[in-house]
Amino acid sequence: MPVPQKLTPTQLFNRCDPAQFGFETTAELDGTTEIAGQERALEAIRFSMGIRHDGFNLFALGPAGTGKQSAVLHLLNRLAPCAASPDDWCYVYNFEKPRHPRALRLPPGRAGQLGSDMERLVETLFSVIPAAFSSEEYQTREKEINESFQEQQGVAIEALERKAQSQDIALIRTPGGFAFAPTKKGEVLKSEDFMRLKQEDRDRIEAEMGQLKDALQSIMAQIPKWHRETNEKLKELNRDVAGFALKPLIGEIRSKYETLPEVVSYIDAIENDIIENFDQFLEKEPSPQELFMGGGQPRTGSKGRYFVRYRVNVMIDNTNTNGAPVILEDKPACQNLIGDIEHSSQMGTLVTDFTLIKPGALHRANGGYLVLDARRLLLEPFAWEALKKAIRTRQIRIESLAQLYSLVSTISLDPEPIPLQVKIILLGERTLYYLLNNYDPDFNELFKVGADFEDEMERNPENYLAYARLIGSMAVREKLRHFDRGAVARVIEHGSRMAGDATKLTTHLQGICDLVHEADYHASEGSRALVTAGDVQAVIDARVHRASRVQERIREAMMRNTILIDTCSEKIGQINGLSIYSLGDRNFGQPSRITARIRLGKGEVIDIEREVEMGGPIHSKGVLILSGFLGARYAPEQPLSLSATLVFEQSYGGVEGDSASSAELYALLSAISGLPIRQWFAVTGSVNQYGEVQAIGGVNEKIEGFFDLCSERGLDGRQGVLIPASNVSNLMLRQDIVKAVEEGKFSIWPVSHVDQGIEILTGVPSGEQDEAGVWSPGSVNARIVERLDAMTKKQKEFDSDLENDDEEKKS
Amino acid sequence: MEPGMRQGMIRTIAVALDCSPHSKASLVAAAEMAVRLGAELIGIFVEDINLLRMAGLPFAEEIRQYSMTTGKLDEAQLERLLRFQARDAQEQLQRTAEEFTLRHTFRVLRGMVPEELMSAAPDADILVLGRSGRSPSCRKGLGSTASTALREGKMTVLLMRPGCTAAEGPLLVLYDGSEGSMRALGTALAIAGPESLLHLVVIDREPDAEERSRQETLTLVEPSGLQVEYHHLPVADGRQLARYIRMIDSGLLVLSDRMNLPEETLRALVNDIDSPVLIVR
Repeated sequence: MPVPQKLTPTQLFNRCDPAQFGFETTAELDGTTEIAGQERALEAIRFSMGIRHDGFNLFALGPAGTGKQSAVLHLLNRLAPCAASPDDWCYVYNFEKPRHPRALRLPPGRAGQLGSDMERLVETLFSVIPAAFSSEEYQTREKEINESFQEQQGVAIEALERKAQSQDIALIRTPGGFAFAPTKKGEVLKSEDFMRLKQEDRDRIEAEMGQLKDALQSIMAQIPKWHRETNEKLKELNRDVAGFALKPLIGEIRSKYETLPEVVSYIDAIENDIIENFDQFLEKEPSPQELFMGGGQPRTGSKGRYFVRYRVNVMIDNTNTNGAPVILEDKPACQNLIGDIEHSSQMGTLVTDFTLIKPGALHRANGGYLVLDARRLLLEPFAWEALKKAIRTRQIRIESLAQLYSLVSTISLDPEPIPLQVKIILLGERTLYYLLNNYDPDFNELFKVGADFEDEMERNPENYLAYARLIGSMAVREKLRHFDRGAVARVIEHGSRMAGDATKLTTHLQGICDLVHEADYHASEGSRALVTAGDVQAVIDARVHRASRVQERIREAMMRNTILIDTCSEKIGQINGLSIYSLGDRNFGQPSRITARIRLGKGEVIDIEREVEMGGPIHSKGVLILSGFLGARYAPEQPLSLSATLVFEQSYGGVEGDSASSAELYALLSAISGLPIRQWFAVTGSVNQYGEVQAIGGVNEKIEGFFDLCSERGLDGRQGVLIPASNVSNLMLRQDIVKAVEEGKFSIWPVSHVDQGIEILTGVPSGEQDEAGVWSPGSVNARIVERLDAMTKKQKEFDSDLENDDEEKKS
Repeated sequence: MEPGMRQGMIRTIAVALDCSPHSKASLVAAAEMAVRLGAELIGIFVEDINLLRMAGLPFAEEIRQYSMTTGKLDEAQLERLLRFQARDAQEQLQRTAEEFTLRHTFRVLRGMVPEELMSAAPDADILVLGRSGRSPSCRKGLGSTASTALREGKMTVLLMRPGCTAAEGPLLVLYDGSEGSMRALGTALAIAGPESLLHLVVIDREPDAEERSRQETLTLVEPSGLQVEYHHLPVADGRQLARYIRMIDSGLLVLSDRMNLPEETLRALVNDIDSPVLIVR
C-alpha cells in the first residue's frame, strides 16, 4: 500500500485572510448583530412563537454560551411589538366572599385609572357623606323618626297611665321596669293603709291592677316591633341620604367604564357597600385603637384597614407596554412565577388582604412571552410543577406555599384565578431536555417544540461577517476598543480551533466574547487604540500558559526520564501513543508509551489495563478489535498461536477511549514481526477489524503535546505524528508547528490504513498480497505471517510432545 | 358686668341626679355654669318614697322592661338598688366636679321627688333638672318633677335635655320690659359664655318696642361685651312664640315667670320647646 504524503503547511491550519474583509476595523460596521449559523433553531423558535395552540411552548437546547438567550430575546423583541398589548389585570375586594378576591380585566392602561378613580371616590366621600348627614334636612327627618317612635311609645303608656290614675293607681318606674300601685292623693298607699281597706276594695284594686298590668305588657310587647320599625325607617333614610350623596360620584365613574360589564358590576357592589356602611365615612378621626393597630394613617393613604376594601390592587399595568411583553425571569422561584400572597403583622398576628397579592412573572408575561432558564427553574422547589400546572390549566392560581404545606396557619386568601395565555421559552442544556423528555410525561405535552442550537457553524464569508459584527457590536455596547481586520481574522481562526474543525466556527459565542474582552484589556495595557491580531494571539497564548501547569510538569517529568518517552531510537514492540488530558475546560495532549510483548499462546490479546480494571469499556473494545484483525488477516485458517500483552506504560489513572488502538496494533505488529518502530513518531487513531484507521477527537491537542516534547528535546526533522486521514479537516494547529513543518523540522502523516502506518513507522514496506494470498517477501506482513506460522508449528510440536508423553504414560 | 357681681348673684347650683340621660345633661350644664360663676354644686338624689311604699304592698309586682315577665318586688332589694343608684349619682357628680375643679356636696333624701327637691336646696340660686326623668312614658313634654318645679318652685330653675348645651351656645331671652324680664336678662348675661350670642326677643305689640327695649337694656347689655341681637315679635301667643323660637334655633331659652305673659302661655311654651329652658324668679 502506497505511503501517503506528509501534510503540507496549508493543510495544518485554515488561515483566514484579513484582506477579504470589506472593512478596516470593526468601527466601520453598523453595530448590529445577526444570529448566524442557527437557522434550524431560529426556524423552531419562529414556528413556536407563530403557532397559537396550546402546548407549543419552546425548549431552546444547546450548550451554555451558544447564545440561546440572545437569539431568543433578539427574535422575541422583533416579534413582540407587532402583537397587541395585553389587557390590564387587577384584584378587587369581593363583597360577597371576602376570602376570594375578584380579578378584573381592563383594557391596557385602565386598571391604574380605576385605582385612582376609587381612591378619589373614597377621598371625596369623606367630605360628601358627613356633609349629607349633617344637613338640616337629614337631622330633621332623623329627629322626626326618632320622636315618632318616642311618641308612639309615650302615647300608649301615657294613655295607660291616665287610665290608671282615674282608678287611683300610679304607674311607677322601678329600677328594672314598671309597677302599679294604688294611690291616694297622688301618693302611693302605705302597706298598712292598704291593709286597712275593705276586703272587696282590696280585691277590686288588685283586679284593676291585674288588668292594667296585662295592658302594659301588651304595650311593651309592641315596643320591640316599633323599635324595629323605627330602625328600619332610619336605615332607609340613611340609605336614601347616602345613596343620594353617592349617586353622582358613582355615576361619573360608572359612565367611564360602561363598556366593561364586569367593572360595572364591581362598581355596583361598591355602591351598595358604601350605602350600607356609610357610617364608616362619618368618623372624623381614627379611634385610638386604630392608631395603635397602625391603621391611623392620614386619609390620603387609607383610614384604617376598613377602607382597604375600596382599593384596587393593580397587578398588571400595561400603560407603557408596547406590544406583547417579553419577560425574562432570572429567579424562577415558585412565588416569583405565580405570584404570592404576602402577610403583614398586626399585634403579632399575620393578616392579609387582597392588596397584598403580588403578581408573578406569569402575570407580567400574560399575553406575551416568558423566558426561563431550565436549570434554575428545576432547582427551585415546586416551581416546575407550578409552571406546568399554570400552562396546563391555562390560568394563574396564586397559592401560598406556606399555606399549602401547613407551614403557617393564618388567614389567607383564595384569589380568583386569572386566565393565562403565554408562550414559555425554556433555555437549557441538551441533557436536561432529554432527561425531561424521558422522565416527565407532561413535558412532551407542554413543550412541543425544541430549538436545537448548533455547537458550530460553517466557515464562510457570511459567518466571518457575523463574527465581525458581534465584535463590533460588543465594542459599541461595552465601550471596548474596536478590532482591526487582522484581529478579527485571528478571532475567526480561534473560533475554528474552538470548534476543533478547520471548516467550522464555534457558536460558543460566550467564549468569543471572553476572548474579545481579554484582547481589549491587552490592547489597553499596550495603549493601543485598536485591538490587533497580536493582542488576540497574546491573549490566546496567555490562556494556554495560565492553564499549562500540569502539562508542563508532565513534560518536565518526561525530560528527566521519570516518565519514559523515547523520541530518537527504534524499538521492537514499543510505540508512542497520544492521549488527551481534560482539566476543567482545558484539554491538552501528551505522549504515552505503549508496549506489546508476545509469546506462545492460544490467540488471546491481553489488555493489562482491562485486567486490572483500569481500562474503560471503549478501550477494551478497541483491544478486542485487534485480535479480530490479527486472526482474520494473518491466521484465517489456522489457530493463532500467540499470546500478546498490551500495556500503557506508567499510566496510573486509567485509560478510556479507542484512539490508541492503532498505536497498540502497530506495537503488536512490531512485536510479532520483530521490526523496530521509529520512536520519533507518535501515533493516534482508532482501527477497525479490517485495519482501517478511523477518526479520533482532540487531534490538535495531541499533535501539540508531542510537538512540545520534541521541540524541547530539539527538532531534528525526523519527528512527526501519524493521524487518521479523516482528521485532516480538523487541523487548526499552532503557528509554531506550522512553521516547523514549513521548515521541514516536523511532519504530520495522514494515515488511512495500518499498512500505511506500519510502513512509515518501521521503514519496511507493508507488502502486498498476491492472488494466492502470499505477502510480498520481506514485507512487514510477510514477516508477521512467517512468525505466526513458526509459532503455530512450535505450538503443534509442543502439543504432539505433550500427547506422546500422555500416551506413554497410559501405555 | 364685673365677675364679682356675677358671683354675688349665683353662688350655689343644685342639680337633681337620678342617673337618667336628662340628669347627666343637667349635671354637665350645671358644672359648666358653676365653673364660670365660681359657684358650688349641690347634687341631690331623692329616693322615691312611692317606689318604696309600693314595694311594701303585699301584691307588689314588677313588670320587667326587657323580658316583660313579672316578678315580686322585694323591699330590701329595692333599697339596695336605690343605694346603688345613689352611689352612681354621687360618683358621677364627683367625676364631673373633679373634671371642672368645683366645690360640691351630695345629698340623699327620701320622699316625694318634687317636694324633696324643692325643699332640699332652699338656699340654692339655681335648680338644674332634666325635662323628664325616669318616668314610665318616654314623654315629649315635661316630666312630673319638672312640672312641679315649674309650678311650685321658688328658685330659678334650669330644665335640661340631653344633647344640648346650656350656657355655652347661644341664648335667647324673652323681654317685655317687665321687672321679671329684666331679671331674666340679668341672669342670662351672668351665665352666658364669653363667646355666646344673645338673642333678645322683644314681645310687645308696640311698633317702637324694639328701640325702647334697646334703650332700657343698654346699661345691662353694654358692660357684658356680648354680642346681642334684637328681635321684635308683636305676639304673645304661646304656640306662635314656640314656633318663632324654634326658627331662631337659639339654644338656651331664658325667661321669667314674672313677665306680663299669662301663666298658661308660659307653661305651654316651656312644655312645647325642645331646647333647655331657664326660668328666672
